[in-house]
Amino acid sequence: MNETFITADPNETFSMLEGMLNASAPRVRSTDVAPVFQIRGLDASYGSKKVLHDVSFDVPEKRITAFIGPSGCGKSTVLRCFNRMNDEISGFRSDGTIQLADQDIRGKGVNVTALRRVVGMVFQQPNPFPMSIYDNISLAVREHGGHVPRAKLDAIVEKALRQASLWDEVRDNLKDSALSLSGGQQQRLCIARALAVNPSVIMLDEPCASLDPISTARIEELLLELSTDYTIIIVTHNMAQAKRISDRVAFFLMGRLVEMGDALQVFEAPKRTETSEYVRGAFG
Amino acid sequence: MSDMSIKGRPHPASVIGTGFTWVSAAAVAAVCFFIIGYLIYQGWGAINWTFLTTDPQASLMAEQAGGIRVPIVGTAVLVLGSILVALPLAIGAAIYLSEYMADDSWFTRSVRLGLEVLASVPSVVFGVFGLSVFTLAIFQDLSSGGAQGADTAFGRSFIVASIVMGIHILPFIIKVAEEAIRSVPASLRQGALALGMTKWRTIRRVVLPSAAPGIVTAAVLGMGLAAGDTAIVWLTLGGSINMAVDNWWNPSQWVEVLRGTGSTLTTYVYFNSPAGEGNAPGMAFGAALVLILLVLVFNVVAVYVGRRAAKAGKR
Repeated sequence: MNETFITADPNETFSMLEGMLNASAPRVRSTDVAPVFQIRGLDASYGSKKVLHDVSFDVPEKRITAFIGPSGCGKSTVLRCFNRMNDEISGFRSDGTIQLADQDIRGKGVNVTALRRVVGMVFQQPNPFPMSIYDNISLAVREHGGHVPRAKLDAIVEKALRQASLWDEVRDNLKDSALSLSGGQQQRLCIARALAVNPSVIMLDEPCASLDPISTARIEELLLELSTDYTIIIVTHNMAQAKRISDRVAFFLMGRLVEMGDALQVFEAPKRTETSEYVRGAFG
Repeated sequence: MSDMSIKGRPHPASVIGTGFTWVSAAAVAAVCFFIIGYLIYQGWGAINWTFLTTDPQASLMAEQAGGIRVPIVGTAVLVLGSILVALPLAIGAAIYLSEYMADDSWFTRSVRLGLEVLASVPSVVFGVFGLSVFTLAIFQDLSSGGAQGADTAFGRSFIVASIVMGIHILPFIIKVAEEAIRSVPASLRQGALALGMTKWRTIRRVVLPSAAPGIVTAAVLGMGLAAGDTAIVWLTLGGSINMAVDNWWNPSQWVEVLRGTGSTLTTYVYFNSPAGEGNAPGMAFGAALVLILLVLVFNVVAVYVGRRAAKAGKR
């Protein structure tokens, strides 16, 4: 069970729950900003099975963009195209262009490891390395930064843990195994790990799917804070979550982008019938 | 009311079947305990501190036949040598097989076939092969003694035996190590790659440390195998009982020792059995008991390391 629930300040718990209950209206923040990702004509297939058809859209910078849609609609596939994790899957093919800050991510001279530093990813199941909390965060930092002096490394680890809202809980136990943390803490550790290498974009694939409501609320709050400095893309099954935190919403269905717009518009006045039905809960 | 009687005897076939399985298991256990018991009975009398710490002496009198210090050291040297030969190759091959190999190319299938064949070669065949290879003149530095001509090498030494033994245990270590590496969850690899780590660094910093206990198990099992083999040792270590030099414990002599012949517990047992020249069965049983205990220790350690790893992974 999530022990943070038991030790949390009751007032804090109540205000979090209250916030969740009140968050029926979508957020309002202008999304008329420069795009950080520009996707044009993206097709993708695993072997002979085509999973994405002519997907085109922009991801605005320093906003929270949510991908919603029923299981198997391709939203996770799109995410994995952004950091080229699909390259690791044999039989995967894709067409079209994906531009990150005006650079074609599959262009000549592109270093995939550099791409993955700039575009970080957090997975559905927390996957901390079987090492200490400190080492989990410092491993990739040392990978990208070469030899980093101990004092600087300590500072980076602390900053990442503070950003992920985990520092106070682990500051005295950095040498403990990451596997001894609760599920919600492990997921925040994974977020800290992604933050430590100083990305510009953070992508989260259903990050709260395996977490309880309190941990979910904490992570949502965290994402809202982070979105002032980072571009956030979140894949979610949970429409209430999308309503609570996202600025822009992309609705996928059977490998196609059906509708994309500001969260307010997509939820309150969807343009397409499929969107309207999905948002109402008629399917999915 | 319909018949709801619930009384009756168990079906005879199931009783016999269950009984048969019980008897089989009991028989296997009985054979094991009998062998161990017999060894203890025959060999316990020969074991004392002198036995373990003096070198063998050639003598017709059992009381003056010395001890098994040289064979014990010989086993240790051989086990160490063969693991030094086998382990780096095995880890490299295991990594390649589990991380890099595409599943269906002809190269893949050849490698797997080659390993299967290697694993099924009898150790005496390895011994003969080793002997014929290492008696070639170019390998003169690897063995000394015997009738060294300009165009042949003696072909028998600790170095030669370690190389041949290393090849013999290679497929077993690769198999267990590959299992250990494959069982590292894919989510860990994905997490590392998504952080911008290269594939090699992911293997080195995340996969291998996670698989380490399994790899250690593989190494320990391989060492047990090396300790227990006789054919390769008899053929490639020479049939002598003692080391090539008298003061073999002196570090300055160690190169000569490695280039020379010697014995291990297995060849000592053979030598002193009624089939060998020594004909001191009491000593043979004593050595056999020590050998069994040694291999048992290897296996217990391997299981213990494996269990601790499984527990740590589940925490």
